[in-house]
Formats: sequence, C-alpha cells, structure tokens
Amino acid sequence: MPNVKKLIIEPLRKTNPVTVLVLGICSCLAVTAQLKPALVMGASVTVVTAFSNLIISLLRKGIPSRIRIIVQLVVVATLVILIDQFLKAFAYNVSKQLSVYVGLIITNCIIMGRLEAFALSHGSWESFLDGLGNGLGYSLILVIVAFFRELFGSGTLLGYPIIPSSFYEAGYQNNGLMILPPMALIVVGIIIWIQRTRNPEMQENNQK
Amino acid sequence: MKKDINSNRYIFLYATVLIVIVAVLLTVTALWLQPFQDRNQKNEKRINILKAAGIQDVNAKNAAWLFEKHCTAEFLLDENGNPTEDDGLPVFVIDRQTSVIPMQGNGLWGPIWGYIAIAADGKTIVGVTFDHKSETPGLGGEITTEKFQGQFAGKQIMDNGSTIPIEFDAITGATKTSNGVKEMIDNTLEKYSAYLKKIAEKGE
Repeated sequence: MPNVKKLIIEPLRKTNPVTVLVLGICSCLAVTAQLKPALVMGASVTVVTAFSNLIISLLRKGIPSRIRIIVQLVVVATLVILIDQFLKAFAYNVSKQLSVYVGLIITNCIIMGRLEAFALSHGSWESFLDGLGNGLGYSLILVIVAFFRELFGSGTLLGYPIIPSSFYEAGYQNNGLMILPPMALIVVGIIIWIQRTRNPEMQENNQK
Repeated sequence: MKKDINSNRYIFLYATVLIVIVAVLLTVTALWLQPFQDRNQKNEKRINILKAAGIQDVNAKNAAWLFEKHCTAEFLLDENGNPTEDDGLPVFVIDRQTSVIPMQGNGLWGPIWGYIAIAADGKTIVGVTFDHKSETPGLGGEITTEKFQGQFAGKQIMDNGSTIPIEFDAITGATKTSNGVKEMIDNTLEKYSAYLKKIAEKGE
C-alpha cells in the first residue's frame, strides 16, 4: 500500500511538523537537554496524536460541528492524563523530569492541527497512520536535537559518559550553553537550514 | 426520523454522554494506579532522606531495604524539642547519629522542598537534598544537582547555642530560587533549634 508509506514517511521529511510546519517548538526547547526525556516525550506525543486522531476520526460523523473543538480537547486531555498517570506509576523518574511538560502535550499544536486538518475528514485507519507519522516526525527532530545537546552539553548519551576522561584532562570542557533552552532553538534552526538547502523546492522564492 | 446533529438537544446529549464516559474512565484508572504512585512517592522520600545522610548508591530498588536498615528512629517533636505523640515536627534518625529534617519552602514558580542531615554534634551539616516542582530547568532546577548540594556538607549551623543563617554560593541567573533555598533552610533550622541544642549537649 503506497498510501501507508506516504502517510508515515512524508511527515518525517517533507511535511515534518517541527521543521516545516514549525509546530511544537515550545516542548522541543524544554525536554531536549537530555536524550532520555526526549525519547519519552516523543513516544508520548506519538501515542497521543495517533490515538486522538483515531478516536476523532471514528467519531467524526457524530460530532456536532459547533462543539467539535471542545470534543477534540476532551479526547486529547483524557489521553494525556492517562499517560501522565501511567508514567507516574511505572516510570516515576521520567515523569519527574518531564513534570509540567506532559500536561503541556494537550496544548501541543501538532495534535490539534492534525485533528482539524486530517482526522475530521479522513477514515480511521488513514488518520491513525497520519497521527503516527506526525508523532514520529516530531520525535525524530526531538531526538536529533537532544543527541547534540546531551553530547556537547554534558558529554554523555542516555546518561552514559561518551567523551573520554582524557579529553577533560587535556582541557576539554562541556559547553554550558548547550544545556540552556536557546541552544535548542539554534539546533532546530540549523536542521531547518540543512533540510532546505538539500530540498531547493521547499524554499520560497523571494525574488519576485 | 432524520437525526439533526446540530440541534441543541443532540449537542447537549452528546456532550453529557462524552463527559460521563471520560469521567468513569479517568476515575477507574486513577484508583487502579494509586497504589503504584504512592509507592513511588514513598521510595522517593526514602531515597532523599538516605542521600542527605550521606548513604551512597541508593536507588528505587534498594531504597525500602536500606531505609529499614539505616533508619534507627523516627519521631515527632514538640516546640521544646521533646518527642511527642501528636502533631509535631518530624525527625528521622539515621544510624543512631545523624538527624534528618524535612524542609519546605518556595522557589520562583512553585514549592521547593528537601532534607537536611545534621551530625550528632548538632551543628555540622552532613548533607542536603533538594527537589522542586516547577523551577526552570538549567537555572532554578540546578538545585537538584550534586554540584549545588555538595557545597553544604561540613557547614556549621550553630554558634553559641543559637542557629546562624546559612551561607552558600547561589546559582547565577536563579536569584529567587537561591533565596528560596536560603529562607527554607533558615526557617527550618530555627524551628528545630531547641532539638538541635539538645543533641549538641548530648554530643559533648
């Protein structure tokens, strides 16, 4: 099925929610200081987008259009609360690190954006895949940013030291700026730059 | 009869049914997961107490066992520093000598809390742990790092039988959180000064 492939692969590249649609930047800054919370955040957002897309798509014929935003919010909020409760019960340390950002998944523009733009007008299987694809696209950027921030900011990956101690003895120092939020923005900016340079068709023509 | 999905009647019915389903779902999950969450919180507390008292390599798995082994007494104090039955100030005694005292205060965005461990002489800090709910990661959030907490060990808190204000290196860019930490420690020690005086006399 070419359709499946398109729905999953496209959001990783040409319609990436972070680098092309520039949605979900706030949480991208907050949880990417280390790789582990970034992975968990990516997984949580993917689960929420996929299932909220699925549920809204199943309900789409019965949702009165006047209260559709409220219905969407209720569904998303419920899923987020469930994830928060599960994390608190089974992954306490991670839930402490993510703290308020789990609650902020509700306001992640990617989710509402996909519900409005896709799930309300497409079948349930397609919507599920679209949510999965967009969640993965978001996770991909999160993981790339977190990889560089943790490697250069703390010299570790997933908490394990990567940069050998002989480097530190020779005078190497971790870059403290990498830990701070502005660096996430800069890394995202660099990713967008690389992506646009490699895909000239994405560039707006400002000459006209 | 054709169903009109934009009639007021349908909208009210739809909203009501949706809310009831969601409410039931959330209640069931919350009740089911409550014991797991409580256990995690309890472990977290034990880990922080043991870490403040300088016990190494505590994790969620061995916390309950280590706490059982090291915590030799746990009691409440009245205003004069004597053990009491009812409401009072809690103290945890680790290995018969270190007193670990819980602290509560305010950071910039929300509550901060922690534990301070005092040696048997009643005036030397063995160690501290801090935690926070919503301080900014990288700034106020740094109070949870070992780098920040490490500087407290060995500091003196008593001079001539009364508590003295604590002094430490604040975090650059997190003045309010650092002030909150100072206030929290000073207030807590003042409340416990009667008890600290007592153990100091006993220690000498």
